[in-house]
Amino acid sequence: MLRFIAGRILTMLLTALCLTFVVFFLTNLGPNLEKVAKSEIGVRISDAEVESWLARNGYAQPVLVRYGEWLGVLPGWTGEAADGTPTGRCVAQDQSLEEADRFCGILQGDWGYSTVFRAPVSEIIARSLALTGKLMFWVMAVMVPGALLLGVLAGMREGSRLDRSLSTFAITTTATPEYVSGVVFIAVFASTAVGLRWFNGSATSAMEDITFVNFTLPVMTIALYGMGYIARMTRASMAEVMTAQYIRTARLKGVRFRDIVLRHALRNALIAPFTVIMLQFPWLLNGVVIVETLFNYKGFGWTLVQAAGNNDIELLLGVSVVSVFVVLVTQLISDIGYVYLNPRIRIS
Amino acid sequence: MTYQDKVRADVHPAALMYAEEEKSGRLSRREFLTRATALGLAAPMAYGLIGVPTPARAQEDKPMGGTLRMEMETRALKDPRVADWSQIANVYRGWLEYLVQYERDGSLTPMLLESWEANEDATQFTLNVRQGVTWNNGDPFTAEDVVYNITRWCDGTVEGNSMAGRMAALVDPDTNQLREGAIETVDDHTIVLNLSAPDIAIIVNTADYPAALVHPSYSGGDPSENPVGTGPYIPEEVEIGVRVTLVKNPDHQWWGTEVFGGPYLDRIEYIDYGTDPAAVVSAVESGEIDITYQSVGDFIEIFNALGWTESEVVTASTITVRFNQANAPYDNVDVRRALQMAVSNDIVLELGYNDRGVVAENHHVCPIHPEYADIGPAEYDPEAALELLTSAGHAETEFELISIDDAWQATSCDAVAAQLRDAGVNITRTVLPGSTFWNDWLTYPFSATEWNMRPLGVQIMNLAYKSGVAWNETAYSNPDFDAALAEAGSIADADARREVMARMEEMLRADGVVIQPYWRSLYRHYRAEVMGAEMHPTFEHHHYKWAIQA
Repeated sequence: MLRFIAGRILTMLLTALCLTFVVFFLTNLGPNLEKVAKSEIGVRISDAEVESWLARNGYAQPVLVRYGEWLGVLPGWTGEAADGTPTGRCVAQDQSLEEADRFCGILQGDWGYSTVFRAPVSEIIARSLALTGKLMFWVMAVMVPGALLLGVLAGMREGSRLDRSLSTFAITTTATPEYVSGVVFIAVFASTAVGLRWFNGSATSAMEDITFVNFTLPVMTIALYGMGYIARMTRASMAEVMTAQYIRTARLKGVRFRDIVLRHALRNALIAPFTVIMLQFPWLLNGVVIVETLFNYKGFGWTLVQAAGNNDIELLLGVSVVSVFVVLVTQLISDIGYVYLNPRIRIS
Repeated sequence: MTYQDKVRADVHPAALMYAEEEKSGRLSRREFLTRATALGLAAPMAYGLIGVPTPARAQEDKPMGGTLRMEMETRALKDPRVADWSQIANVYRGWLEYLVQYERDGSLTPMLLESWEANEDATQFTLNVRQGVTWNNGDPFTAEDVVYNITRWCDGTVEGNSMAGRMAALVDPDTNQLREGAIETVDDHTIVLNLSAPDIAIIVNTADYPAALVHPSYSGGDPSENPVGTGPYIPEEVEIGVRVTLVKNPDHQWWGTEVFGGPYLDRIEYIDYGTDPAAVVSAVESGEIDITYQSVGDFIEIFNALGWTESEVVTASTITVRFNQANAPYDNVDVRRALQMAVSNDIVLELGYNDRGVVAENHHVCPIHPEYADIGPAEYDPEAALELLTSAGHAETEFELISIDDAWQATSCDAVAAQLRDAGVNITRTVLPGSTFWNDWLTYPFSATEWNMRPLGVQIMNLAYKSGVAWNETAYSNPDFDAALAEAGSIADADARREVMARMEEMLRADGVVIQPYWRSLYRHYRAEVMGAEMHPTFEHHHYKWAIQA
């Protein structure tokens, strides 16, 4: 078991390394660096000035060296500003070279500085993750019980009228992407176009104070999409369990149908959906990109859009690291949990 | 001696002349006010010259206290003199103030100046600095602070310092710094500006948004980090891209309370909803904001339908669909002329801006500018355009028109592109998101830019079309034009200046510099409870006038 977990963590580190290098390489292509220089010192500068700015700010070194600096395995660059004061990756304002650390990369806990938001990357990521965490919590709180209920109800009597109608609902919601359902929801439930105005079509105020009115639509937009998928999985799993030998035996013995479903079928039917639910976490991470932008909720997805749109190198890298971490940790939990739910599987 | 006569005795002669022009109908009231107050007249006196009572400033009792929430893009703050976006200035306006302030009606209100006078040929200005003003750290505000700021503005060696262009008459062209002897400090509260050439716009220029006065302790960079200023508010939260809040400064006695009343609001929140107006509609419907920054295009009708109050102001704001002459094929004047001729400006106004404005004539001087010369409508002849393009050898060239994804700007460019396509030009459209568009706005070969208004026609020429200035996005460089511009800037008399301006307008048109389809009116909407926050022609937020009923 420990070996398994250790292996997984190693995979995680390797994946993070590869992914961040790809992101680093792409954001450090020549034209992208030029964009950074121009957004820092103004748009109307000559190519020579761009070059000298890039050189003065440590961008002129080979990509691998700079990647090493970002990681914290190579010492940060140092140089001199136009007026002779020492500058460097690790040198803060009014700090001399001796006072500054030699290394300041992600390994030292230094995530860098966001050029778009003018704040440390760690601060931005903490803020946006907290917001997205709240969103995810409510999505899960709505989606998981709802999906399991739908799936179990549909799967316990395969082919019944209840099964058909619930399946139709599940397929419809999961076949409607968020950018469609979100817009439809806003038009129907939030705008004067239809006139219902039950909820808010903007979740900006939910960043400070979550209410039923301002958070329902973003939560439902994400939850409904995932709900249909999990419900279909649960239904299939439930339907399969309901045809198993031991269920038939229980029925022949005269156990009440309600007891069969709740006591005998449910636990076994939930093994497959568990994995699917865990898989929803990484997927939620990119599902929120659309929903957060649509509802103007400044969480992780919105931050990713802003970072990518402005070639904010260190913020993008930070976002990538967090994403890799979330994806692989949830996978790990999923695998371990699977073992406990299903005694037939052993990891050795 | 009547009051009128007494007034006349010490009034600038040009102002008297303007008053005559206004009475005889050659000058609109707005133009008159701008010019008379620029020459040092107080607004009530200016109104008196034309025999009109000063309109009562909305004296309705404004309630104290409350929070106003406004939708606005919150961009990274910069040193005021290099600020390139009104939104940036509207944040630091909370604690930084200006020498003079441009009002909705075109007049100038003295702020940190108490008054000023110009000499006969507008080469010397005497500025009387307001007494009794303190910085919010307790330091007194004196003439020295004004000199310090003018010196900063004149530093042309700072990248992107657009104030240097505005202060050209005080700058030494050799050192790109303040010219020696350009400023004389007479006493603690009086300074004299000696201009190298007459410049009628110099006072109006200090009302422009980069001209906020900073404390000598300010060292550049984000001004909210150490918000020392003379204004009544201080920043509380500055989260770029998310929100900025200003709160009334409890430890500072603002000088303006005695003069204007206010500030009324306890708190002003700027919330960022990005560039998509649909998100603002959602915010309005959700009750998350009290006022929009600006309402555009189809959204004006939508906000009206929602029952919000509309505030309109007529301006010289515009969109220029411009060519960058440093890029082929736009270095060829025939190509530029042909593309211009293939576009009918009134169609662009109708399709791109719902006819909410006035058709323009491709030379970026507006009928509301004092020196506007009517040289007739822009030429429209799609067939001749294609012939010209063919003879220039670019009939098959694929042109690309870039715009931001902002609703009305994108639609206007679509209207331009559609007409070019109808004329037989091979053109593609590219729409960039607001977050990336502005990174290169000066250097796109063919793109559209939004220009805010300036009170005088010569101001916009100095900013955008003079050779080599910071915001010359067309890369236009014409020595004849520059010479004419310098000449125009020294003529205080608008009628005389109009003759020079007519030549400049012709030059701009003959050189095919921009397709400038229309002048737009600006709109803003707010809840019925909001007071004193009407739309401003240059997007200025005068926080001290704002109030909200509980």
